[in-house]
Amino acid sequence: MGVTPVMLSRAALCVLLLGFALPGPARAGQSEAQRAERWSDLRHAIFGDRVVEDAGDRVAIDAPARAEDAAIVPVAIRVTDTLAPDIRGIYLVIDDNPSPLAAHFLFGPLADTREIATRVRIDDYTYLHAIAETVDGRLYATARFIKASGGCSAPASKDQALALQRLGKMKITFRERPEPDLPIDAKLLISHPNNSGLQRDQLTQYFIPADFMQTLEVTYNGQSIFRLESDIAISEDPSFDFRFRPPRSASLGEIKVEILDSSQRHFSQSWPIPAATQM
Amino acid sequence: MSLPPPALVAAALVLFCASAPSRGETAGLAITEIATGVFVHIGVHEEASPANADGIANIGFIVGNEAVAVIDPGGSAKEGRELRAAIRSRTDRPIRYVILTHVHPDHIFGAAAFRDDHPDFIGHAKLPGALAQRGSYYVERLRDSLGETAQGSEIVALTLLVSTRLDLELGGRRLVVRAHGPAHTDNDLTILDEETRTLWLADLLFVDRIPVIDGSLVGWLKELDELIAIPADRAVPGHGPAAVAWPAAAEPERRYLEAVARDTRAAIKAEIGIANAYRQVANSERGHWLLFDEYHPRNVTASYKELEWE
Repeated sequence: MGVTPVMLSRAALCVLLLGFALPGPARAGQSEAQRAERWSDLRHAIFGDRVVEDAGDRVAIDAPARAEDAAIVPVAIRVTDTLAPDIRGIYLVIDDNPSPLAAHFLFGPLADTREIATRVRIDDYTYLHAIAETVDGRLYATARFIKASGGCSAPASKDQALALQRLGKMKITFRERPEPDLPIDAKLLISHPNNSGLQRDQLTQYFIPADFMQTLEVTYNGQSIFRLESDIAISEDPSFDFRFRPPRSASLGEIKVEILDSSQRHFSQSWPIPAATQM
Repeated sequence: MSLPPPALVAAALVLFCASAPSRGETAGLAITEIATGVFVHIGVHEEASPANADGIANIGFIVGNEAVAVIDPGGSAKEGRELRAAIRSRTDRPIRYVILTHVHPDHIFGAAAFRDDHPDFIGHAKLPGALAQRGSYYVERLRDSLGETAQGSEIVALTLLVSTRLDLELGGRRLVVRAHGPAHTDNDLTILDEETRTLWLADLLFVDRIPVIDGSLVGWLKELDELIAIPADRAVPGHGPAAVAWPAAAEPERRYLEAVARDTRAAIKAEIGIANAYRQVANSERGHWLLFDEYHPRNVTASYKELEWE
């Protein structure tokens, strides 16, 4: 294809933002046919005429069927061991969100693509679609229905002073790894309002400006684990669970996270990887 | 305090009814005088609905020799009008202050009913920010829950902000308004009526109805320690009876908050995900609280999000 994946996702995102907001409030009451049509529209907007195959059990979405808090819905995307080595990216689409393309993960050479997880906002009863893209350009899609509503315009920031004070700070934890050859499981937390721009000040009638993380890059000793193109659908204080394999020959190095947000702020933080036996 | 003579009450009522024709509203909002001049209307333990007009929180007013202070004007303009009528059936003294104890809809949407009294609308210094963030969402949600009954329920502009403490003179009695750190929300006020040693805690104290954590769990426990040290004979909870013994009534709430903190920390440590954690957090508290299943899972999500940064 003629465009890079990054360009594609940006272009698709604009199309989605401008063209696909469905009218009418009662989207929870959509029929299955309407939902199928919605997905068909979205699929064409994001992937054009490319074939999108049913992933069967090769790709799975793990998320609660009914979300207790629509502003913080944990979503994990899993790929089978067989398919995982061929995967170079995963798209997460929340069909009925104002901006449906929630995330595009692009995996680097060090990623273990079998599982990646984050937390998202969900605006209405909707299908989630996860589409795994292989290195040779095949697309495998799977879907899951979620009951949640109001997540995109929901009240943000329980403690605004703390949010401001902690802006851009990150925290990473590594799960214990008994052997050096096993992949490393990491959990990354980022303090950022990831404001949707959908809240309006009742007194001034101005919208609170959108302020969200646009790209996230995670590297190990300069080599990519994954890059994320994201949007307002990622929850406040974004969270990512990911897995990677440091090169065997290398001595233990450093993991680095870099973020660019929609206000053009840049945040970066690094951590040394603890040795396996000491974890 | 002395109440105005009946003739004045009648005149005030006539005036009120003449100036504010209302749909079937009476001066009949049930009000309890819990201490001399301190009046509380008890909210129902329900979710907001057209039938209850979002009258789910304890609201009320304190009457001095010269003026009246409203503490939380109610959950809708309708409830605000009813509260105003209840005040006017008891006194014709000017309503000089309307205190909004925090950002939640069940406490603030009655404010619009008091605009013509031109009171000071008083809130925490952080309340305007919270209203800006959440106001439109709350207005929409109120319309969803109440339909036509929500009509006229609006966000009012605050005229007086409290960042630490503000003393209000009502004539013969002083109210001490305190601004608290993040606890139930990040914009909680409490009011101490020194005259009757009544501590109006609003939603820093939940009795019977499950506490809602929308500020900081750790902060709330810290604020509770300080509140317990305030010498008072009784407290007014934001939800629960009109008045409770202080500080004894704080115990169930503290027990719940401590259980949530302890079990959520354990869930984070055990790598139980944010969506599932509530299933094993503070289960011992089920049965002690009304609306437990409606609010507990969100409390745990909020606490998890707070505590995972520790």
